[in-house]
Amino acid sequence: MARSGDLHFHRFPQSKSVDAVRWLSPLSAFDRFVAAAVHDTDAASSSLEIHSLTVDAADPNSPLFDLRSSWSSPSRISSLRSSQTPHKHLVAAASTLAGSLHLLFVDPVDGSIDSELSIADDRSLHAGPISAVDLQAGGQACVSVGEDGRVNLVTVGESRLDHQRVHDSRGLVSYMAARWASPAEFATGGLGFGVQWWDQRKPGGLVSQFKGNWARGSLTGIVHSIDIHPSRKHICVVGGSSGTVFAWDLRLQQQPILLSGVSLNETTQPISESDVWEVQYDSYTHSSNINSAPSTRILPIMMCSEDGILAVLEQGEEPIELLAENCAINAFDIDPQNPSDVICGLEWESIGILTRSRETMVRY
Amino acid sequence: MPGLASDPGDSLVPFLPDVRDPVVYPVRHGVNPPIFRVYVSWTRGNFLQVACLRPPAAEPAGGEEDGVSDEEIGGKVVEVKLGAGDEEISEAQRRRIAYGSVPAFALLQSRKNSLAAMSRMSASSIRTEWWEHVLEYSRHISDLLGNPMLPSSTVIEDPKMIMQPHEEPTTLKAAWQLMEIFYVDKLSSTWLPERLVDWLADYDSLLTETTIHSKVEGLQKRLSSLKVVVEDDPEYWEGMSGALAAGWLDAVVKLLRLHGSYQLEQLGSRETENGLVEAVAVLVSTMPRMRPHLPAGRLGQCYKTKPDFIKAWEKWRLHISRLDSSTFWVQCSHHQTREGLRNLLQIMLGNISNLRAATCHWMELFISHFLYIRPLTMGLDEFHSLAQKCMQLKSSSSSNGLMGLFIGILGENPEVVLAECSKTLGPWMVAHAMELLTVDNGHADILLHEERYSLGDISIEELHRLVYAQVLSSHPLTWQIAPTYLASCPKQGLGLLEILLYKQPVQHYQMILKNLEICRLYELENISSSIMKIAGTYHWKHGRKGSGVYWLQQARDEVRLNKIAQQLFECIGKSISDDSFKQWEGLIELLGSQVGTAGGLEFLHKYRDFKRSLQQVQDGSPVDAARQTMESLMQLMKNSSTPQRFWLPLLHDSVKLLNWKAQPLLTVSETNLLLNKLQELSMVKLHPDFCESNLPPQALSSVRLALATNLGRAVLEEC
Repeated sequence: MARSGDLHFHRFPQSKSVDAVRWLSPLSAFDRFVAAAVHDTDAASSSLEIHSLTVDAADPNSPLFDLRSSWSSPSRISSLRSSQTPHKHLVAAASTLAGSLHLLFVDPVDGSIDSELSIADDRSLHAGPISAVDLQAGGQACVSVGEDGRVNLVTVGESRLDHQRVHDSRGLVSYMAARWASPAEFATGGLGFGVQWWDQRKPGGLVSQFKGNWARGSLTGIVHSIDIHPSRKHICVVGGSSGTVFAWDLRLQQQPILLSGVSLNETTQPISESDVWEVQYDSYTHSSNINSAPSTRILPIMMCSEDGILAVLEQGEEPIELLAENCAINAFDIDPQNPSDVICGLEWESIGILTRSRETMVRY
Repeated sequence: MPGLASDPGDSLVPFLPDVRDPVVYPVRHGVNPPIFRVYVSWTRGNFLQVACLRPPAAEPAGGEEDGVSDEEIGGKVVEVKLGAGDEEISEAQRRRIAYGSVPAFALLQSRKNSLAAMSRMSASSIRTEWWEHVLEYSRHISDLLGNPMLPSSTVIEDPKMIMQPHEEPTTLKAAWQLMEIFYVDKLSSTWLPERLVDWLADYDSLLTETTIHSKVEGLQKRLSSLKVVVEDDPEYWEGMSGALAAGWLDAVVKLLRLHGSYQLEQLGSRETENGLVEAVAVLVSTMPRMRPHLPAGRLGQCYKTKPDFIKAWEKWRLHISRLDSSTFWVQCSHHQTREGLRNLLQIMLGNISNLRAATCHWMELFISHFLYIRPLTMGLDEFHSLAQKCMQLKSSSSSNGLMGLFIGILGENPEVVLAECSKTLGPWMVAHAMELLTVDNGHADILLHEERYSLGDISIEELHRLVYAQVLSSHPLTWQIAPTYLASCPKQGLGLLEILLYKQPVQHYQMILKNLEICRLYELENISSSIMKIAGTYHWKHGRKGSGVYWLQQARDEVRLNKIAQQLFECIGKSISDDSFKQWEGLIELLGSQVGTAGGLEFLHKYRDFKRSLQQVQDGSPVDAARQTMESLMQLMKNSSTPQRFWLPLLHDSVKLLNWKAQPLLTVSETNLLLNKLQELSMVKLHPDFCESNLPPQALSSVRLALATNLGRAVLEEC
C-alpha cells in the first residue's frame, strides 16, 4: 500500500441516516457549505440540510459543523448534486425515491434556502424511484435516470422546471448513474456494467454504448457512479459492484481499462471486493508523471466502498488507502475549490470530514 | 404522550372498568365512524401499525364517482409509537453506542477465537494476556458511554468553583465502570477502596435524590448568588462535612478557604480562628492515601506500599488528635466555626456517628469507611459485610438498580448481576458486560456458557446475544450490525441471521446490495441467491423487466428465466405491433445466451429473424426480403426445437407470402414438407391434450389453401 500522508478525519454524528453529501461552492474561503441528504427513520421524514463547515488550518482536529438551514423532502433523497448559477447562487439538485426532482437555490452568504423548483412524483418524470441525477455546470439543466428505464432532460426555467424525455426503455434497461460530459453530452450507466453515451444533438440521443459482458460469468454487476474529467471528455471512469472501477474510453470502445476489482488473472488483491458507491477524479493527488502523461492515461481517482474504504487509485500504481472505516462509506465529495478536503457520508449515521495536508501527499 | 381518554364509551375496544388502572391512549386516525374493522400489528422498533377500516361502501349508483373526497376515505393506517420519551439516554445516543461497540466486540471475539485455537499455550500465560484484552475492550466501551469533561483550561481559577463542571453521569456508564473495577482491572486490585472513592466522586448524583453531591451543588449555587458570611450558614458546614466524608478533599479545602477569617480586614481580630481553619485545611490536604497516583487537582499524599501507608496514616491521625485536644479551641470565639471544624476532625478520625450524620446514602457511608476507618479493607467478603452494616445504619435509603448491581458484585452472585443489568440497563448492557463477568471467574464462566435445556439447548450468553441482536434487527438503521452478534452465537445465530437477511426489503437496489454484501461476508451463497430471486421476481412484477432478468441471471435461476422465455413464446402468434415487437426483441437480447439450455432460445432468435423480415416485407416488400422470410420459415419448420403449437401461427403469418404474386417462393419439396407438417397438425388436433391457439377458426383451411396454391405454382415453375 502506498503512503497516504498526513490525514485528519473528524466525524460528526447526525442521529439520522446520511444518504448523500455534497459541497456547495462557497463565495469566500471562510464559509463553506455542505448539503447533506438525511433520513430520519423514527420520524419517517427526509430532508436536505445545509451545514456550514469551518476548519481551522492551525487546528484541523476540531472543525466546526453547524446546521444553517433545512428543507424537508416529500420522500427519501436518492441522489444529490450541486452547482453554481451564473447569478452566484448555489444550487442543489435532489431526486427522490418517489420520483420527484427538486432544485434548491441556496444563499451563498448565510446558507439559507431561497427558493425551490420541483417536479412532483406524479409519474410524469419517472415511474418509481429516480436513481441518479446530475446537474450541469451552471445549473441550467439536469439529467435524471431511473430503474424504470427513462432518461429525462430537465431544463431550469425562470420559475419552473421543464422536462423532456430523451429515451424510454420501458423497464428493459435500468439506469443507475448519470454524468454530464459537456453541455450536450452525458453518460449513463446501469445493470451489467453497461455504460451509454448520449448526445442531445443526435436523433434518438444514444451515440454509443458499452456492454459490460466483458467481465465474464459472475463478474458482472451494477454501475453506481460515473465521473468524466473536463479535460478528457472521451473517458468515463466507472465504479460498480464487486470493487470494480474501470475506465471506458470512447475511442477504444470495447476494451475497458480495469483500475480495480477482481481481475481475470486474479494475481493482484483488489483494494475492495464490495460495492464501489462513488468515484470522482481526485485533482489533489498529483500523478507521478503528469506532464508526460498521454491523453489515454487515466488521472487519479478517488473511490469509496461498502466495506468502508476510501482510496485513491491510479493506473499502474498501488492504491493509496485514505480511510478504512468499520462501516460503509455511502457517499463522498471532494471540495472542488479546496481539493484537499473530502466529505463522507458514513453508514453509521455520521458525516466525516477528511483533510489532507499538502506537503506529504505528493507521491515520492 | 396522549392523555387519558375522557370517555371510555367512545373507545373502539371495550375494556373492563374494574381492571386496575387501564391506561387508554386515543389514536387519532381521522376516519369517520362507523369503524368496521381495526387491525393492529407490530412494525419496526416500538411502532404499532393500527389500520382502521370503514365498512365497504355500497356500489356507487352512477359509477362515475372516481375522485373519492377526503371525507369518504375507506380507512387509514396510522403508526403509533410506544414508549416513554423521557429516558436517560436518547434513542439516537443508544444507536451511537451500538455502532461504537461493534468493532470492540468483534475484535474481542476474534481474539478469543484465535486464543482458543492456540490453546496449547500454557494456561496461565493465556489468562494474563486475556484480562488485558478485556480491559482494552472495557476501556473502549467506557469511552463510548461518555467522556468525563476535561479540566477547564482557564488560567485564573474561580475560588467559588467548588466542583468542576462534569458531564451528566449516566447509570449505564456507572454500572460499566463498577464492573470494570471489580472484574477486569487487575492492576487496581491492590487499591480497590480508593478506586471506589473515585467512582463515587463521579456517580454520587445517581444514587438517590438527596446526596452529598446534591448538597454541595446546592451550596455552590448559594455561594455564587448570596453575599453572606459563609461561616454563619449551617449549610456551609453541612456541605463541607459531606464532601469530606466522601473524600472530595479539594472541595473541602476550597470551601475552607472561603471562610470569613481569611478576609483581609478580619485577619487581625480572628487570628486564632484563622489559624485553626488553616490547620484543618492542611491536615485535609495531606491525608495519606493508599494508591499509586492521583489525578490532577485531587489532594492527598499517595503511598504505594502498605507499611509506608500505615506509618503515614498513624502519624496523620496523631496530628489530628493533637489538634483536636489543643487549647486553641477555647480561644475560638465563633461558635459555628469551632463546632464545624471539630466535626471535620471527628470525621477524619473516623467517628462513626459523625460520619453517619455527614452522609446521606449508605453507599456514601460505605465509602467513608474506606477513607477514615478501614482503609486496608480487602476481599469481597469484607466489602460485603461492611456494605450490609452500612445499609442497616442508613435504612432509609431506597434501592435502585445500580445498588442492586453493586450488592450482586459484592455477594459474588453473577446471576444477580446479570438480572440487574438486564432489568435496569437493557439488552445492550447484558450482551456486552458478559465479557467482563467471565474474566478469571470460573463460576460465572460455567454459569454463562453451560447449555441449558430450558433455553432450548443454548447458553445464557448466547441467549442474551440473541436478544440484543433481535433488538438491533428491529431497527432499519441498526439491522446491519446484528450479524456481528449473531455470528458469535454458535447454535441459533446462523438460523436467525438467515431469517434476518430474508426479511429485508428488496425495493431498492442499494438495500439488496448491502444485504448481499453481508451474505458474502458470512459465505451464505444459498441465501444470497434466494435474495436475488426475490428481488428479480419483485422487479419483474413491477415492470422493470431489465432488473428482473438481471437479478434472476445473477441468481442463476434457470427455472424462472425459462418461465420468462415461456412467456415470450406466448406472445408468438398474436399480432405483434411495432412497439411491442421492439420491447420483445429487447427482452430476447437481455436474456442473452444464459437461458435456452432446452434450445428454446435458439427458436426465439430464429423467430425474431423471421418476424423482422416479415416486417420488412410488409413495409416495402422487395423480393429479397420475401425470400429471406421464407428461408427463415423453412428453417423454423425444419428445426426440431420449434414447438409444435407454433407451427400453425407461423404458417398463418406467412399466408401472404405463400400467395406471393410475382412468383412462388417455395419449391415443390419445401411445400410438401409444410403440407406434411400441416397434416401432422390436423392429426394432433384430435388429441385430447391439444390446446387451441387463438387464431381465427378458418386459419387452418386458409393455410392449406395457400399451400396448395403454392404447390401448384411451384410445379408449374419447375416444369
